[in-house]
Amino acid sequence: MDEISLEAAPVLGGASLELSGNRIVERDDLAIVSIATPLGGEDALTEALRNEWPLDVPEPTRSSLSGEVRAVRTAPDQMMLIFPHATPDAEAVVQERLGGTGYTTDQTDGWIVLEVAGPDTLSALERICPLDLPSFEIGGTGRTVMEHMGAMAVRTGEDAFLLLSASSSAASFLHAVETSYRYVT
Amino acid sequence: MIINHPLLGPRDAAEFVVLGDACLIDRPDGMNAASEEMHDYAYVRDNPAGEHRELWYHEQGDRSWLVVTRSTLTHDVIKVELARDVARARGRSR
Repeated sequence: MDEISLEAAPVLGGASLELSGNRIVERDDLAIVSIATPLGGEDALTEALRNEWPLDVPEPTRSSLSGEVRAVRTAPDQMMLIFPHATPDAEAVVQERLGGTGYTTDQTDGWIVLEVAGPDTLSALERICPLDLPSFEIGGTGRTVMEHMGAMAVRTGEDAFLLLSASSSAASFLHAVETSYRYVT
Repeated sequence: MIINHPLLGPRDAAEFVVLGDACLIDRPDGMNAASEEMHDYAYVRDNPAGEHRELWYHEQGDRSWLVVTRSTLTHDVIKVELARDVARARGRSR
């Protein structure tokens, strides 16, 4: 039998759009691993993150950054690590460094990440996002609904955001974001 | 309606799902309670005109359960607490 070799394809085919000086780029290089805090294990997890990366446990509505590794607070006892990682073993890599101080789940395939940036970003997003994005500090984050799709936003710069949404409705999400940019540019 | 989430600040009610009267937290022990007591827990609710405590679930947000005290007459949101804090304050372990 012939050898079968498969190559992973980006969910949105590596989408990359340029709209009047604004950019929408699919970040296919990022792995996403959620870390849940064991009951009563906050201190051990905080220490492990600080020793290994070093990363602070982000406060609610915030994310913390160490090099290219970002920890995003998603729930009272949960955060997500988002970082560039080429192989499909992100969860094992994170768990090994945590040494059992957190419950990890690989979420890479569940999400798509859009990197949006440019001067019209805030006015494009305010049309579809109920969060008060202009009031976010850099590193601020929130989870909400955009065009009926669950989504997360992380402010990475004055005019730049990471937008996360479900990979199962990725094309619709990209369409919503792109359409909103077209309305304002 | 805006719900002032204790961790996240003001959020639109569209992000939440309402689950009804907060008395659901006080479930009787099903192994010992009389059937009358279980019946009342499952089916009987007050319908107050005025202040009402309700469970809300932040489904399109941080997935936390909240106890929202609001007025059914004016829709004013008076107080918002994390449901787990409320349960712990009543001696529940988590």
